[in-house]
Amino acid sequence: MSERTSPIRHIPALAASHLLHEWVMSLCLVVALAAVIAPLFVLLGLKYGTIQTLRERLVEDPIFREIRPTQTQVFSSQWFAELSSWPETGFITPTILPLSSVINVVQNDSGKTKLYDLVPTAPGDPLLLENDGIVPVDGEVVLTTEAALESGIGVGEELIVRVTRSQDGRKEAAESRLRVVAVLDQRAGSLARVYAPLSLVLDVEAYKEGYAAPARGWAGATPEPYLSFDGAVLLLPEPLPAITRTGLIINSGFGRIAELSAIQVRALLGFLPPQDFAAYDLFTPGSPVTISSLRAVDQKLRGRTRALLPYVRDLKVTAAGNTLQPLGLSINAEQAQLLKIPETPWGGYNGNLPECDRLLQALWPSAKGRALTEQTEHREVEVQAAGVGEVAFALHSAGTTSFERPVLPVELLGVLRTGKQRAITFEPDGQCFAMARGGYRGFRLYARSIDDVPVLYNKLRSQGIDVLAEVAAIERIHTLDQGLTRLFLLIALLGLFGGTAVLVASLYAAVERRRRDLGVLRLLGFARRHVFFFPMAQGLMLAVLGLLAGLGGYAVLAGVINQAFAKELAVGEAFCAMPWRYLPVFGFSTLILAVLASLTAAWRATNIDPAEVIREQ
Amino acid sequence: MADKSTPMVYLEGLVKTRSQSESVFELHVPHFTVAPGQMVAIIGESGCGKSTLLDIIALVMAPTRVDRFLVAAGNGGPPADVAAHWATDAEGLLAALRRDSLGYVLQTGGLLPFLNVRRNICLSARIKGVALAAERVESLARRLGVVDCLERMPLSLSIGQRQRVAIVRALVHRPRLVLADEPTAAVDKGRARAIMDDMYALARDESVAVVVVSHDVDLVMDRADTVYTFTTDQLSEQLSRSLCRPLADNNR
Repeated sequence: MSERTSPIRHIPALAASHLLHEWVMSLCLVVALAAVIAPLFVLLGLKYGTIQTLRERLVEDPIFREIRPTQTQVFSSQWFAELSSWPETGFITPTILPLSSVINVVQNDSGKTKLYDLVPTAPGDPLLLENDGIVPVDGEVVLTTEAALESGIGVGEELIVRVTRSQDGRKEAAESRLRVVAVLDQRAGSLARVYAPLSLVLDVEAYKEGYAAPARGWAGATPEPYLSFDGAVLLLPEPLPAITRTGLIINSGFGRIAELSAIQVRALLGFLPPQDFAAYDLFTPGSPVTISSLRAVDQKLRGRTRALLPYVRDLKVTAAGNTLQPLGLSINAEQAQLLKIPETPWGGYNGNLPECDRLLQALWPSAKGRALTEQTEHREVEVQAAGVGEVAFALHSAGTTSFERPVLPVELLGVLRTGKQRAITFEPDGQCFAMARGGYRGFRLYARSIDDVPVLYNKLRSQGIDVLAEVAAIERIHTLDQGLTRLFLLIALLGLFGGTAVLVASLYAAVERRRRDLGVLRLLGFARRHVFFFPMAQGLMLAVLGLLAGLGGYAVLAGVINQAFAKELAVGEAFCAMPWRYLPVFGFSTLILAVLASLTAAWRATNIDPAEVIREQ
Repeated sequence: MADKSTPMVYLEGLVKTRSQSESVFELHVPHFTVAPGQMVAIIGESGCGKSTLLDIIALVMAPTRVDRFLVAAGNGGPPADVAAHWATDAEGLLAALRRDSLGYVLQTGGLLPFLNVRRNICLSARIKGVALAAERVESLARRLGVVDCLERMPLSLSIGQRQRVAIVRALVHRPRLVLADEPTAAVDKGRARAIMDDMYALARDESVAVVVVSHDVDLVMDRADTVYTFTTDQLSEQLSRSLCRPLADNNR
């Protein structure tokens, strides 16, 4: 019966009536609570408002997200791939040497040219996108304000650019017509700059280095790799006089000539020279031997019966997991007859890089490595050669050899030896081997957000890459934010104690004041556990009212503060703006505190003995 | 309705000991009973233990020792074993008994100052959980002459009016027993008689048993069906004992 009509539900109404009856007291309490809560709201609002305003000002300008290298250094494509996979990276594009990254722009009025910076860009470039620009595709460019003003060329117009180079003492120039698709806001920088896709920048760099850019109709060389050797073995039926020997290393590019034993010859070339043959080693300590040196020596030996065979020492390739140390040998019919060894299927060395088909051949040892030979007799063997960059290519089997080591054209070894010093590439469908690009010398990097800047900055520095960024400005805001948060927490703690103490005291005092009324309630049939909730209900009501009043006070104060600083702020900015997501947290903790604060009073209320108090006057 | 023979309150062998600093007071009540609809008066000098007895009957004071203590349940079921409730500290059950079966008129006040008269009157019925017609409130208030005060706050009433309102509140939820603790002590003799008359008349009409505590013999003597009085003995310097017996026994 008592469950069906539990008197507890009358407690809140009674508690409210009591508060209303003592409205002056209640009002003072609500004001006291509001006076604790409102400043906390204002402080929180100020903290978020100022930090937000400062941050937004930084966030708006992509310049604060940029991280620039301080020095030029070579960056590989893998490095760029790795960097774009970092979560903090917002945008990255490679750049080239600053000196090569310039272009002559024909001025609209004078027809003369002026040198502008040529900067690579790519889709997603924040500098362009956040400064009224769009990202240009091939054949298009974006200009800075200065570039557009100076050249007199605007959006939609054609920009004529020239690239110049000196080739063998002659001046050469190539020209392109590019469409201007956007002119950037002044904020993007005060220099005259042309933003173009990376492909144009690379073509400009290549042209300056003497190469062609066929797609743009720019003439030039193909980047064929040069041949380099460790030395050359000179084999003659009779020894050379000492004076002739010395003559060979004068003005030939060779540094030294030394006699070789038959065994030493075999170590270098794979075969023993015929009996009574003299053998000399021509080389330059510490330097590679070039085609021109070989040509020079060959000239000096004209008229003598001889074989001049360049060699490459210690070059290793891997094929199907086996490490092979091939011999480089290109023997023509005449040399074969002289040296009594078989002619190589690819002919003799003549100082030129043979065609791809001739170059990529191999003779496999018949005695050793039987399995590999059989397996590969009629097929191609995939080979990897390590160098600056690894190249992989396929060798055609041209037969077998009685030598212990596989025999490859010496020109191929010459290319691979070059590959140990300069990067070379292999394109199976194209022009066979080619010199790889000089590599990227820098980057344009933007962090995803300003908070990512310090992270990226530190990551790059830990890689040993010296970079510049507006880290200080961002760190300052972080420091300020942390400081303000700490300050807020301290003051909140104070407020928390103050507000709770006010509630504890007043609720307890109310119970003491109303002992008799609470006794009467007990007499009327309320149990101890019912009157327990009387102060608790009052605490909650006061807390809710205090919270609402605090919010009202905050709204007024925030309005006044933002009004006062209106001049300093842009539209939409506010110095005092509390994030509303904090309201539930605030509300919830206030109510929890109110409940905790009412516990003493509630306990006191349950301990009232009605028999004692009902006769009090 | 409960059987006529089932008493509203049945007390047997009650002892209540109260100590104050060094003096000890013992109240002995060998037998105390209130029949349904009966008017019982408890008369005695101050300090004789009459208020203590009333508090025990009102279930707000625990007896030190009691052989039997029964109070008729509000729903007409078997009487509640109050002695057992106290023994088990079943405070919630005692509170339920209070709101279901009892009405209480305090010496002064007893009205909640933060509720107006009507809400004060309705409170006892509301916490009992019974529906209360406005007409009943108004007819009872009219009979006690406070119908005009219904919307006023207790503090704006005279003491006599407050006591009349308290009587209405004690009766409005149809309890079967009303306890009144010197309900007219704070008013002059003339008003006291009027108030007492009104209370008794209303109680009889409502068939409610009434226990009145008073030091004023004249005021209650001729209206009561049974009268209990006290004999106090100072046994020693520290110990005094008070024995409560029906007056008729004493006369015999």
